[in-house]
Amino acid sequence: MSLALAARSATNQRIAATFARRALAPRFARGAADTAYVPGGPVYKGTVNDPTTFPPPNKTHGSYHWAFERLLSAGLVPLTVAAFATSGSNYAMLDGILGVSLVMHSHIGFDALLVDYLHPRKFPLLGPVLTWTLRATTVGVLVGVYQFNTQDIGLTELIAKVWHA
Amino acid sequence: MTAARVARPARAFASSALRAQAVPTEKPVLEKTFKIYRWNPDEPDKKPTLQSYTIDLNQCGPMVLDALIKIKNEVDPTLTFRRSCREGICGSCAMNINGQNTLACLCRIDRDTKESKIYPLPHMYVVKDLVPDLTLFYKQYKSIEPYLKNDNPPADREFLQSPEDRRKLDGMYECILCACCSTSCPSYWWNQDEYLGPATLMAAYRWMADSRDAYKAQRKEKLQNEMSLYRCHTIFNCARTCPKGLNPAAAIAKIKLELAAE
Repeated sequence: MSLALAARSATNQRIAATFARRALAPRFARGAADTAYVPGGPVYKGTVNDPTTFPPPNKTHGSYHWAFERLLSAGLVPLTVAAFATSGSNYAMLDGILGVSLVMHSHIGFDALLVDYLHPRKFPLLGPVLTWTLRATTVGVLVGVYQFNTQDIGLTELIAKVWHA
Repeated sequence: MTAARVARPARAFASSALRAQAVPTEKPVLEKTFKIYRWNPDEPDKKPTLQSYTIDLNQCGPMVLDALIKIKNEVDPTLTFRRSCREGICGSCAMNINGQNTLACLCRIDRDTKESKIYPLPHMYVVKDLVPDLTLFYKQYKSIEPYLKNDNPPADREFLQSPEDRRKLDGMYECILCACCSTSCPSYWWNQDEYLGPATLMAAYRWMADSRDAYKAQRKEKLQNEMSLYRCHTIFNCARTCPKGLNPAAAIAKIKLELAAE
């Protein structure tokens, strides 16, 4: 009787210990179907023998984005040189192209930052908020640059002035 | 007279009493301290610590793996690490030694008296001590289908390949999947659940570059997204750390070029 009781209490203790360990380490206890990101634990989609999956293919997010980014970066080099060599008020088109491509270049740069460090899959609230903040800022800056180029002295002149000041 | 002359050379070769009892010269003690990352899953409340082990380098093999084995054999049998071939072909003993991901079996011990720090591969989940959890790494490797895919194999013979086509695979097929490069990549640290990492991407390109493979278009299409390939920002830690001297960054650059050119 007492032996059986002792055995039962030992079993209970073991169950309790197992339960406590599971509570401490939820990543081991988590079901395979649960694919939500949990900070501090590997969450494998499927079993350990299933390969990881790929997002749906989309060239706009893939090679087109990459090629555009690289061509833009490469194009900015002669564009900047040309802007230095000429005067903004005489070549308004050049000023406009420089303004737009600089803003797009920095938009892509900041966007890469957000995707790297603040992706919506890890930051469901902050990620989208910052992505849209960036988009709004880019649009605002584009409008501002357009206004500055048409109403005021323009980008190239401004930099030339600051350079000499 | 003759007998004495014969005896003389024989005597010249005979070892003296002193040489018969010669002992190997005593090597001086050259002590070196290894600080090794310890964490035990059976004691999850205890934080990971660095444990110091001092051994005599003159009584130890030249590589860090020799030191680890010596420590495990003679000092602390609870020290846990993976090892197998001890000659840089299995990739088991990949770890972070003095801040560099490398294979312990290919990494010489610095014979100075400075202490040496050994950690598991960075930014991986640790199973115990120096053993990282590579499950995701292997799942990713599996996802790129690392095998020949061709629905129309030659009927009567094996695949033939020109020496030029074969040469395209040099520098890629040697990869032993030790995960040194992937775990040295900051992009892989932050986004390893989505980004494939240099080792897997180089393996992917190894099959894209294979003249016998018929599924190049499908292999390329898989990578046409924001995360799988394009989280590579050409940091080049992979090429710098590879213990086999390979260049995963070059393979990734070729994938990007081929994707952009199609």
